[in-house]
Amino acid sequence: MRILATYNIKGGVGKTAAAVNLAYLAARRGERTLLWDLDPQAAATYYFRVEPKVVGGGQRLLKGGKKGSALDDVIKGTDFPGLDLVPADFSFRNLDLMLEEAKGSTKQLRKLLRPLEDDYDVVFLDCPPSISLVSESAFRASDALLVPVIPTTLSARTLEQLLDFLASQERLATLKVLPFFSMVDRRKRLHLESMAELPIRWPQFLRTSIPYASDVERMGVHRMPLPAYAPLSPAAVAYQSLWGEVRASLPK
Amino acid sequence: MEYLIPDGLSAEALEGELRAHLSCRAESAGDSEIGYYDTFDWALYAAGGFLSQSSETLRWTSRKDASAYAQPLEAQPGLARDLPSGPVRDQLPPEAAIRRLLPMMRIQTTARLLRVLDENEKTVVRVLVSSHSFEDPTSGRSGDLAARLRVQGVRGYDDDRELLVALVESKLGLVKAETPLLCEALRRVGRVPGDYSSKLDLKLEGAQRADAVTKQILATLLETLEANIQGTIAGWDTEFLHDLRVATRRTRSALSQIKPVFPEEILARFKEEFAWVQQATGQVRDLDVYLLAFDDYQASLPAELRPKLEPLREFLLAHYDQEQARLAQALQSERFRVLLGAWRDFLQTPVPSTSIVPGAMQPIKAVADVRIRRMAKRVRREGRAIRDDSHPEELHELRKSCKKLRYLMEFFRSLYPGGAIKPLIKQLKVLLDQLGDYQDLAVQAHHLEDVAERMHAEGRAAPATLLAMGALVGGLLQRQQAARDGFSEVFAAFDDPQQWAQYKALFWTSEVHQTGT
Ligand SMILES: Nc1ncnc2c1ncn2[C@@H]1O[C@H](COP(=O)(O)OP(=O)(O)OP(=O)(O)O)[C@@H](O)[C@H]1O
Ligand SMILES: [Mg+2]
Repeated sequence: MRILATYNIKGGVGKTAAAVNLAYLAARRGERTLLWDLDPQAAATYYFRVEPKVVGGGQRLLKGGKKGSALDDVIKGTDFPGLDLVPADFSFRNLDLMLEEAKGSTKQLRKLLRPLEDDYDVVFLDCPPSISLVSESAFRASDALLVPVIPTTLSARTLEQLLDFLASQERLATLKVLPFFSMVDRRKRLHLESMAELPIRWPQFLRTSIPYASDVERMGVHRMPLPAYAPLSPAAVAYQSLWGEVRASLPK
Repeated sequence: MEYLIPDGLSAEALEGELRAHLSCRAESAGDSEIGYYDTFDWALYAAGGFLSQSSETLRWTSRKDASAYAQPLEAQPGLARDLPSGPVRDQLPPEAAIRRLLPMMRIQTTARLLRVLDENEKTVVRVLVSSHSFEDPTSGRSGDLAARLRVQGVRGYDDDRELLVALVESKLGLVKAETPLLCEALRRVGRVPGDYSSKLDLKLEGAQRADAVTKQILATLLETLEANIQGTIAGWDTEFLHDLRVATRRTRSALSQIKPVFPEEILARFKEEFAWVQQATGQVRDLDVYLLAFDDYQASLPAELRPKLEPLREFLLAHYDQEQARLAQALQSERFRVLLGAWRDFLQTPVPSTSIVPGAMQPIKAVADVRIRRMAKRVRREGRAIRDDSHPEELHELRKSCKKLRYLMEFFRSLYPGGAIKPLIKQLKVLLDQLGDYQDLAVQAHHLEDVAERMHAEGRAAPATLLAMGALVGGLLQRQQAARDGFSEVFAAFDDPQQWAQYKALFWTSEVHQTGT
């Protein structure tokens, strides 16, 4: 089981779009896939038409019922074979506080996922923006961070912040960071310039970038992953190639 | 969960019923054609699974929990051992290796998927409605099977699934489909999986007339023999011929050993004709034995000699087609047809109300007791007479007696308590294997010497090949000697007083009644 988190300190950069589309593509390739919506805004949950409701809320998840079965009880099958979802819950807005109370707080997510080791090949964690105990737990649980970056100067600064933070955390030394350009508008000079510069500074940038496209925005109308309704759209093809690249850069 | 859709209810009407109660979206789930394969003796079914192929994918589905494995396969499957390695092949039982995977049934399916939706138009249950037809490659028959409805729950939506199940069971009154499609299709053509086995499994009644029961035994053997004719002629795999020959040998053994129950003059001709069948099928069987053992032959040689043996394989294969054609000719001949016809007539003719043949009207159990007793004593006598310097012919004779004894015990197995006779047969097989090794290895070694001479004469063997064959013959003779050396120990286990007490307890019970006849 490999665990990937989509993360950026900044909001609205395409984290959820990436998590939803990549999870869909992974499942379509035959990998048993789980997407965990950690954001109380429940965008990923919405895209899959699932009710944003977890029986007992985050509290019960963390306390756990019977041993290891806490997540088992809340997983929902999506409309797509091989792709399951842990829906978000409004109570997740307090997940931080709840994690703080739980002992070994940042180990909690990993612990919850461990019993599912044999059930899934890939797990995506769709994180809310900003650095919090939730995101730290997600970092500790993950093998890699997928970081959508809008190619602007400001984004470069948040990426730097993130990398500095991670470097300061000894426990996260093995975490792989995979930034990629998101919402790229090739008509903007700033975008083109940033896309030329940033990968020189951070060679770990993936080569695929996701174009800015209204097809992606329409996910909220269709309420399904982009490749499910527009498989040949340029953005869908880009997600496909992104997934290929991510897979290839993960340890086997 | 799968349900049968009753005959009167069309798939459309059923869909309408569901739509009346639930919000659904329907889509075609495509057509498929699945071919089911098994060995002639259903080894895969016996090992707990179904092997199927559709659109270039080979699948193994467990009968117990429906767990499945798949691997790509473009061509039709052939011999089990020739399948490319993969997860499906890994499931096949080892005893299937040398058998051909035969098409047992084809099933065509057309399916529609109904997705039950909630208020967000999210799929909460999937319902697969499928109609099926079958085509039996063996009989050429075809027809329609009952349509089926399968409920596939979505994780986390148990309530919705239960609701649908209640609707399907209570409101629509559908009943669960208990048998897999394949079995239902087979039933339609009067078959069940596992309906052929080379093992003798007779259920006899000890009090019945000996001549009638003997006909019953012989008729079962005839069935086995006939079942294997087609596969033998076509050369589907080596086991058809093997089973055919075993049935023939058992028939001959029954004719000579279960006596006196039929007039000798009637039997004489059949005995002669079945001996001919045995002889006419021998050449190909010999070649089969060599070819099946060939890899082991090669492995028994030092690595550098192994490739030198290849011309031998080629030589054997070169003669194979010719011998196989001869065999096919014999089995398609007038002589064979007449033999089977007359034999069937004889077996189907009811036994006469009275018979002058002394054993005919006795209870079969009494005849069986006497025959087994005699043969057991003979085996013991002949075995005890064997010394270190005994002539090989004596061991050969002993082997023949052992075989007769084994066949008798197998024919009459059901007349004796199963738990008691089984270990005796098993023990006897150990002795038979030892004697078989001793003799067969010698026969193989000497036959290989002949082959070497022929290959040499035809200029088809380089000196290196002849040397490799020499080494092979040497190895075979060494193993033969080992079989000879082990004989006394194996025989001692048979001739053990406790073992013998078992024989006495089982077969000496009717002695008192027998003294008069
Ligand atoms: N490549 C794209 N082209 C156009 N619009 C996009 C693209 N990617 C995402 N969007 C849109 O931008 C908005 C934010 O995207 P998304 O929810 O994926 O970002 P996010 O980083 O997960 O946001 P948040 O921080 O709020 O969780 C959404 O309305 C989405 O439809
Ligand atoms: Mg988001």
